[in-house]
Amino acid sequence: MGNDDYALIRRVLAGEKDAYGLLVAHHSQSVFRVAFRITENEADADEVVQETFLRGYRKLQDFDARSNFGTWIYRIAMNCALDVLHKQKNQAVVPITEEYGELPAVQVADRAAGPDRILLSREIEIRRHAAMGKLTPVERVAFVMRHVEERSTEEIAGALGVAPSSAKQAVFRAVKKLRQSLAPFWVSHEALNRRRNDRALLL
Amino acid sequence: MKHLTEEEMIGHFYSEDLRPAEAETHLRACQQCAQAYEKFSTLLRGVQAPGVPLRGSEYGAQVWQSIQGSLSSYRPVRNRRIFPWPRFAYGAACLLFLAGAFWAGRLWEHAHSQPAVANSEQQTKQRVVLLVLDNHFDRSERLLVQLNHAGGGGDYADFPLRAEARQLLSDNQLYRQSAAQTNDPVLNAALDHLERVLLEVANSGIEPTGRDIASIQKEMNTPGLLFQIRVLRARISEEKTNTHALPKGENI
Repeated sequence: MGNDDYALIRRVLAGEKDAYGLLVAHHSQSVFRVAFRITENEADADEVVQETFLRGYRKLQDFDARSNFGTWIYRIAMNCALDVLHKQKNQAVVPITEEYGELPAVQVADRAAGPDRILLSREIEIRRHAAMGKLTPVERVAFVMRHVEERSTEEIAGALGVAPSSAKQAVFRAVKKLRQSLAPFWVSHEALNRRRNDRALLL
Repeated sequence: MKHLTEEEMIGHFYSEDLRPAEAETHLRACQQCAQAYEKFSTLLRGVQAPGVPLRGSEYGAQVWQSIQGSLSSYRPVRNRRIFPWPRFAYGAACLLFLAGAFWAGRLWEHAHSQPAVANSEQQTKQRVVLLVLDNHFDRSERLLVQLNHAGGGGDYADFPLRAEARQLLSDNQLYRQSAAQTNDPVLNAALDHLERVLLEVANSGIEPTGRDIASIQKEMNTPGLLFQIRVLRARISEEKTNTHALPKGENI
């Protein structure tokens, strides 16, 4: 894939614009995934994907042939997502999902669980979503990269253009804020789990 | 025993703590920290990313369709990177033009400056000669005037007159030899005449009388010589004025 990407990049720089379409096709899914995980909104994620590949094309002549195109475009995607978050923060838009208590997508760990568990999981997801909204754009991106995308501190720092210590602190601040927001609800979640386990032992 | 801080727990959870073995040992030994870490890690593990909506296989093509209209093709890499014409060509042409203009200027200056320098040197030399001659004729004129007055009926001639004549004689010999190489018969004749007069005065007796002086005046025609010297001085003065008026832009 890496060699293919490099060959495509050479073709693009040689004037064959359509070769970039193949690069977009190869990487659009992964870019959409990270864009959605950061923005948690489909429309925003689509916007980030488009902006990412636009920026990527314009900066393609600066692409270092020794690096990986996937990593390179991933970094651009993160910065585009960060820009979207900054824009939203500045415009102070209240997401419609928050206003109506709806979620764009709910990750339910166990679909075979009972209605009480599903309800609690949904409640936790709503709280998590709200807690994520309270993070600063940098904290949010750093947390998603570290916790969800499992990227190293160095990678986060490189993508955000900050020192590794700053990236680490951003993750720490995000975790503390999420913990403060979610801890009260997690207690009830754990209690429900314990009750379910006890019931299963009795049966 | 020092308990783990929240930051240390976060670092341990993400395997980014500086001393993981030490933290692990502490968590095994300290029940309080172990419980706190268990709660903490359970909470963090529970924070899951929302499910990513599916995008079909045609998604990439859709993205490309939406952006390709606003993208312009790159120029061929070879031309752009190795020789980005016409930017470098234009710069190179400018440099060549400047270098050519510089060398042309240098050559022109070299071709035209030598005669000017030569002329200048010649004029400077001529000016020095005129200045020296003017001075020599000035002194000679005064001596001839004194000589004419002394020969007016006095009984003796001034002793300094003879000494002055001797000094002027040696100078005049040099000037006459130099003037002999030039094509100036009036000047040569005047210097020759002056030398004979000076020689006569310088070799006059220790105490020349008025009669001796009058004899010299008569025999040597010193009034005629005086007039001749005055004419030469006027000519020299005129030439000095002309050499001062140098052509415009010409250096001395």
